Amino acid sequence: MTDDTPKVFQQTPLLKAGTYGFLVLWALIAAFPLVWIFIMSFKLPVDAFAQNPLVVIMGKNTATAADAFSLLDLILVGIFTYYAYKIPRKFYRTTVDYFLPIEHRKLNIFALCFVYGLLVVASFFYLLPFVSQLVNALFDELPLLSLLSKPLIGYTLEHYYAVWVENTFYVQFKNSLTVTFGVVIISLTVGTLAAYALSRTTSSIALWLLVIALIFRALPHSVLVTGYLPFFVDSKEILTPLWNLPLIGSIFSFFAEEPPTLYGQPLAVIAVLVAINQPFTIWMLRSFFMNVPKELDEAARVDGCTHFQAFRKVILPVMWPGLITTGLFSFLLAYNDYLVTSLLLDSQNETMVPAITAYFNRETTATDQVEAIAAATSITAPLFILVMIFQKQIVSGLTQGAVKG
Amino acid sequence: MAQIQLKNICKRWGSTTGVKDFSLDIADREFIVFLGPSGCGKTTTMRMIAGLEDPTEGEIYIGDTCVNGLEPKDRDIAMVFQSYGLYPNLTVYENIRFPLKIRKVAAETHDSRVRKAADMVELGPLLDRYPKELSGGQRQRVALARAIVREPNVFLMDEPLSNLDAKLRVSTRAQIKHLQHSLQTTTIYVTHDQIEAMTLADRVVVMSMGELQQLGTPTEIYDTPANTFVAGFIGSPAMNLLDGKIIDGKFVTEHTQIDQLPSGLPDAVTIGFRAEDIQVTIPTDQHDTANSEGHIFAPVYSVEMLGDSTLISIKVGQALLIAKAEKTFRAEIGQTVSFIVPPEARHWFSKENGARISV
Repeated sequence: MTDDTPKVFQQTPLLKAGTYGFLVLWALIAAFPLVWIFIMSFKLPVDAFAQNPLVVIMGKNTATAADAFSLLDLILVGIFTYYAYKIPRKFYRTTVDYFLPIEHRKLNIFALCFVYGLLVVASFFYLLPFVSQLVNALFDELPLLSLLSKPLIGYTLEHYYAVWVENTFYVQFKNSLTVTFGVVIISLTVGTLAAYALSRTTSSIALWLLVIALIFRALPHSVLVTGYLPFFVDSKEILTPLWNLPLIGSIFSFFAEEPPTLYGQPLAVIAVLVAINQPFTIWMLRSFFMNVPKELDEAARVDGCTHFQAFRKVILPVMWPGLITTGLFSFLLAYNDYLVTSLLLDSQNETMVPAITAYFNRETTATDQVEAIAAATSITAPLFILVMIFQKQIVSGLTQGAVKG
Repeated sequence: MAQIQLKNICKRWGSTTGVKDFSLDIADREFIVFLGPSGCGKTTTMRMIAGLEDPTEGEIYIGDTCVNGLEPKDRDIAMVFQSYGLYPNLTVYENIRFPLKIRKVAAETHDSRVRKAADMVELGPLLDRYPKELSGGQRQRVALARAIVREPNVFLMDEPLSNLDAKLRVSTRAQIKHLQHSLQTTTIYVTHDQIEAMTLADRVVVMSMGELQQLGTPTEIYDTPANTFVAGFIGSPAMNLLDGKIIDGKFVTEHTQIDQLPSGLPDAVTIGFRAEDIQVTIPTDQHDTANSEGHIFAPVYSVEMLGDSTLISIKVGQALLIAKAEKTFRAEIGQTVSFIVPPEARHWFSKENGARISV
């Protein structure tokens, strides 16, 4: 491996050892608990809370009581992952170039990726177990090689089953999705429009708006919640006049028979989280818009766009990575929020993060704790998937800064 | 048909004035260049024609329509920007096609039109690239192709060559001239580079401080500058300007005595002469120049060898005067030289307002 670091930035061997040592330590401290609870969530409590770490990893008791992977299974999974990753890399270009129609290209590419993803998931859960059973049975018959098909690492899905099916965690998952998507959609829509305007105006009011937004951002979240609370509790009485208005009232009643009590509803949480998040979104998006040269707007206008077309067809596609990055931050804020959701939501609308605390508040048994761990692991999974999908955009959104014309 | 008329255009931002009472008639198919130092209002004027700025006062006509208040897209213009203004997320092909697509030109004509425009600026093999994979000159040619693809009534070019290096500038300049000649489209070209202005323009508009200084063909601007600003701006080196007084029928100032003056000059005048129109000699007697021929005697301030000629400069008061001599001419710094200014090389300007005095 050649080191192309310019001479001025090269480290002395001692410093290098120190840096890597620190990195390893940091990775252990930061990543270890995550990996560990991931492993624990698949074991029976006997194994999960065992003294010997090796027992936790191998899950001997789990293997006898529940399922286990053999070495063969692991190899098969390895092979499967390798090809699931390699095949698209090798055939993507040719497939796109020769087999997809030219019209609606982007849509077709999306459909292709979606179908491939479905295929991979389906074959992982249905085809792979079948194949591994077959191969294991085959190896069992052979003398020495049967060692490969011996159960090796125990696993159980019963905690996940308990969490998702018995404790109906999917309700909380659905609530989380409602809240996060509400927040992301509203704060990105308002944010892009506001930030675009603020990045292009020369008016002095713009600066004041930005400063006010910053002050709002600085407020403690609980202050915002208490500020909104009376309105949410009495929203039915407060909103009644709106419903009684002649024309507008009928539009409102189209959505709801009578004014809702917002307290306990996802809508209330969305409103508060958007209020908390909006200043940040506007500031961040504004800096992305500032990096898009004004000449692009002007070129688009001269080429035949209306103002809005220039925004939608030229400016937005250019700062797409910025939009994704900002969207991800909004998503994280809403998805991970504990304070606002736990204060404002009633139990049937509860989101995942406050729901986990319920596992600890109970008279906890060892099983409950492992279930809590399984729930915690379930929460992290969507985040990983999201970051994996958008990693390219996020990296360019965070690093590129300037969108050069 | 796209003649352009500007009627008493003004542009103000608060108390600052960008363009003052500017009127201009541009004929159909004319190549007109706005020339001036930065901040003179030339770009603002062009942006008002493009519809990117609104004039505070005055009217703009393209063809027979008053375009005040019309959106840029409704003015049937195309513009080329200094920093290209290409869409970085689109390929060269899609960049050139964009105006056709957005204006809903019949889709089956797109391909041939894009390729025709690309061939005119020699972009044929680069159509699949992205702007970031191109050099500066190539990017500017994409911008040109995007402008010509729609065959608009008017081209507006805002310093299109400023970001290119010297060699590319020469070749792209020739390309622009050739394009305009073959397309026969009215073109307005903004630049601060007088060589671009002289080589490209049918007529040049020299601007300063938001005002029109002179409008004329490149030759007119060069040979009969309308005032000291134009005289001091056009030409490389620019015209020498020297303030002085008329005493006893002679133009007199430090180191200087010029006779054979025309009649009717005011007492305080500025004389102008071009470096290549005067002769330099070295007087034989360095200390007593009274008997030597010449109008200005002064020690050499600097000597610059250009290869095809030698520039000799002297200092008279605050003014630096430059003469262009033979390429073999040599002089030492500090040595006294004499400048001979023949009567036909002299331009006279009023010292009060800088305006040309015709004699």
